[in-house]
Amino acid sequence: MKWLVLSLALVVALLAAVTLGPAAVPAGQLFHSAIFWDLRLPRALLALLVGGSLGAAGASLQSLVRNPLADPFLLGLSGGAGLGAVLAIALHLGGAWTLPLAAFAGALLALGLVFRLGLVGGSALDPRVLLLGGVAVGAFCGAVTTAVVSLAEASALRNAYLWLWGGLSGASWDTVTLVAVYVPLPLVVLLAAARPLDLLTLGEEPARYLGTDVAVTRRRVYLAASLLTAAAVAVAGVIGFVGLIVPHLGRALFGGRHRALLPASFLAGGILLLLADTLARTAVAPRELPVGVVTALVGVPLFVLLLRRWTAA
Amino acid sequence: MDRGLILDVRDASFRYSGAARDALAGASLAVSAGEFVALLGPNGSGKTTLVRLALGLHTPHAGSAAILGRAAGEWPRGALARAVGVVSQREDNLFPQRVRETVRLGRYPHLGPWARERDEDREAVERALERCDVAGLADRWLWTLSGGEYQRVRIARALAQEPQLLVLDEPTASLDLRHEMELFELIRGLVDGSGLAAVFVTHDVNLAARFADRLVLLAEGRVRAAGTPADVLRRDVVEAVFGWPLAVSSFDDRPQLTPLRRQP
Amino acid sequence: MRRCAQLLVLLALACHPAERGVSAGGAPAQRVVSLAPSLTELLFALGAGSQVVGRTVYCLYPPAARAVPSVGDGLNPSVEAIAARQPDLVLLYRSPQTETAARQLAALGIPTMLLRDDRMEDVARTARLLGRATGHPVAGDSIARLIDSLVTAPIPPPSARITFVVWDAPPIVIGSGSYLDELVIMAGAENVFHDLHAPSATVSLETIASRDPDWIAILRDSSSAEPPAWAGRREWRTVRAVREGRFLILPAELFGQPSPRAPEAVAFLARLLNHSPPPAPR
Repeated sequence: MKWLVLSLALVVALLAAVTLGPAAVPAGQLFHSAIFWDLRLPRALLALLVGGSLGAAGASLQSLVRNPLADPFLLGLSGGAGLGAVLAIALHLGGAWTLPLAAFAGALLALGLVFRLGLVGGSALDPRVLLLGGVAVGAFCGAVTTAVVSLAEASALRNAYLWLWGGLSGASWDTVTLVAVYVPLPLVVLLAAARPLDLLTLGEEPARYLGTDVAVTRRRVYLAASLLTAAAVAVAGVIGFVGLIVPHLGRALFGGRHRALLPASFLAGGILLLLADTLARTAVAPRELPVGVVTALVGVPLFVLLLRRWTAA
Repeated sequence: MDRGLILDVRDASFRYSGAARDALAGASLAVSAGEFVALLGPNGSGKTTLVRLALGLHTPHAGSAAILGRAAGEWPRGALARAVGVVSQREDNLFPQRVRETVRLGRYPHLGPWARERDEDREAVERALERCDVAGLADRWLWTLSGGEYQRVRIARALAQEPQLLVLDEPTASLDLRHEMELFELIRGLVDGSGLAAVFVTHDVNLAARFADRLVLLAEGRVRAAGTPADVLRRDVVEAVFGWPLAVSSFDDRPQLTPLRRQP
Repeated sequence: MRRCAQLLVLLALACHPAERGVSAGGAPAQRVVSLAPSLTELLFALGAGSQVVGRTVYCLYPPAARAVPSVGDGLNPSVEAIAARQPDLVLLYRSPQTETAARQLAALGIPTMLLRDDRMEDVARTARLLGRATGHPVAGDSIARLIDSLVTAPIPPPSARITFVVWDAPPIVIGSGSYLDELVIMAGAENVFHDLHAPSATVSLETIASRDPDWIAILRDSSSAEPPAWAGRREWRTVRAVREGRFLILPAELFGQPSPRAPEAVAFLARLLNHSPPPAPR
């Protein structure tokens, strides 16, 4: 029943995303228009994939670092992606794919650094070190980025920020195909770790006694969730709150078991981003709002509601 | 090898890296099916280290630790969780959970990453809930339970693993008299009813003496005494181990300790 | 693209033209630090180039300006670097940050002028103002008259529809209330985003596609006539002008900032439009 509602919501969100837009396309011509085929449809699909990735990554990272306030971007990836994008502009690297690739490389660099930091205490990534390391690496990347922006003699660097908060405007069939090929692998890794993740929410020691190889699980989950986030930031920039709020919604509706929670978070994340992006494109048309602003505007009240339910219960 | 022997730690020594002395210096602990063994000893005597060695979390520097004839450290964690259920000292749930949900986690060692829950898994969960007398609480949130109820739920989760050995690390700490008694009665009943082996780490020497088949008394990393309660709880031994004057009496044919006031 | 981006930042800050500041008193200023590329250009056009003792890193026109020592960024000025040039007048682009810097400079006894030259009319007024402040009132008046005559000249009927694309992802275009919008109108064309009451704004690609401009105008530092890299991206090819390769590549040094060379820019754009093949019928 819940899944039916979620699927219905997905259909509604997809329909809204492809039929609504600043350009008036007559309903009869929708399926013959380039605006539908080359702009709205790939953008809607990308929103679905990116939102879904952030939702699933957020749900698994919250259990991994044992912190319900963890957001996929808390682990330094947005800082790394921003640094990558700024460096690409500062070094005058050209090409249509330069910025996404550079941002992806930057995110991977941050990912590697945080991962290495997490291993200081042994082979089992320490969640506390992951969190602190993520925040530290993110702040460091941010500082280097700011230094590059203020020192380099190119004000186009400011545009790297625009790009980093640019949302889904770069959507095309190429990006959709790329992401659609990329995303399943980390998702499958996360799903395979669903049961160990359930156990990890009890704490490291009980998880071990219930049959979990904690070190392996943590490494796999961290890498898979971060790779999802890195892809999301490379094609859509930093989109906050989806990865934070969607897992809590998922838990409220589907319970804490990751076998249900992860797919539910993927779907709910996709739906939320689809709706947010549709709103971003149409609310102040012909202008466009950054989609991250809309996810925050929609997400924060939802979150406050959840917090109230939590503390009232 | 004794066919019923489940846990067999022999002359095991272990030192934590950076520590000045051995946490465990040649300690042994053997537990057979249908046996309730209580592990006693003052704080820092090596009880937790011995349990960790027995569960394969540490590898002994000398001696051995085996479960069902296989070195504890060589067990894959999943297979070990089908043989041994543990109620650890601490756990904290990150997210709200209901009683039945948390007991279901006990079935995970029996399920592959992709396998669906089978009827036998659901039955094992219900059976475990009933054996621990928490079936009536199955739909409650964990945080609404009392301390004693919560411990029984955790034991139910360990039972859902369908283990041959149950290890309980100070499960009665912070429980009131009734809940503590209920817990000891529960474990005794489980051991008698199903041939389960139980290792019960506790500070309650008197209850251990009344419920356990055998006691193992640790002091400074060594087994100071092991055997029936009457063999172990001799006044000179216990006074030396705990460093406090005691009187030993008897109740139901079991020795009971009474700590004495210091002479004014 | 580079200066175009700076323009964008300038435009984003613009809300109303006004100037304020400590006047240089009676005597013309002899040591002027200019903290905006447009003001630096205007000073050189007035013949006050030799009085300029400091500029921003972005002040690259005229070429002679590059010989002047740089004091860093203009929007986030370094008061210490400016004071070290021992100026008797500092020209700042008016914004909250520069107002703070102006107060600090005033506290050091250095006269400042906060100017806002976002539109064509501002160039005329600023030219008169700076002409007087630097002792070149005649040159100032003559530049102002030139600009005034451009502003008051009859506007030719629009013959082509243009979109300025400042940035591709997210797409940012130029709206009304901007210097470029004015140039387009004077060159006999129409900015398809004239209805956007903002110097620049993020729009969705489908809006650009559905407004179907004849030309995509972009500013560029180099003289390369290649279409921009993003023109090859599939989603941009939903815009007819991109598909047909109808790009107006404009030199950023001429178009990137309000300038006394506005007549030249208008003529450049008009010539480009007249000599290019007319757009295919829609």
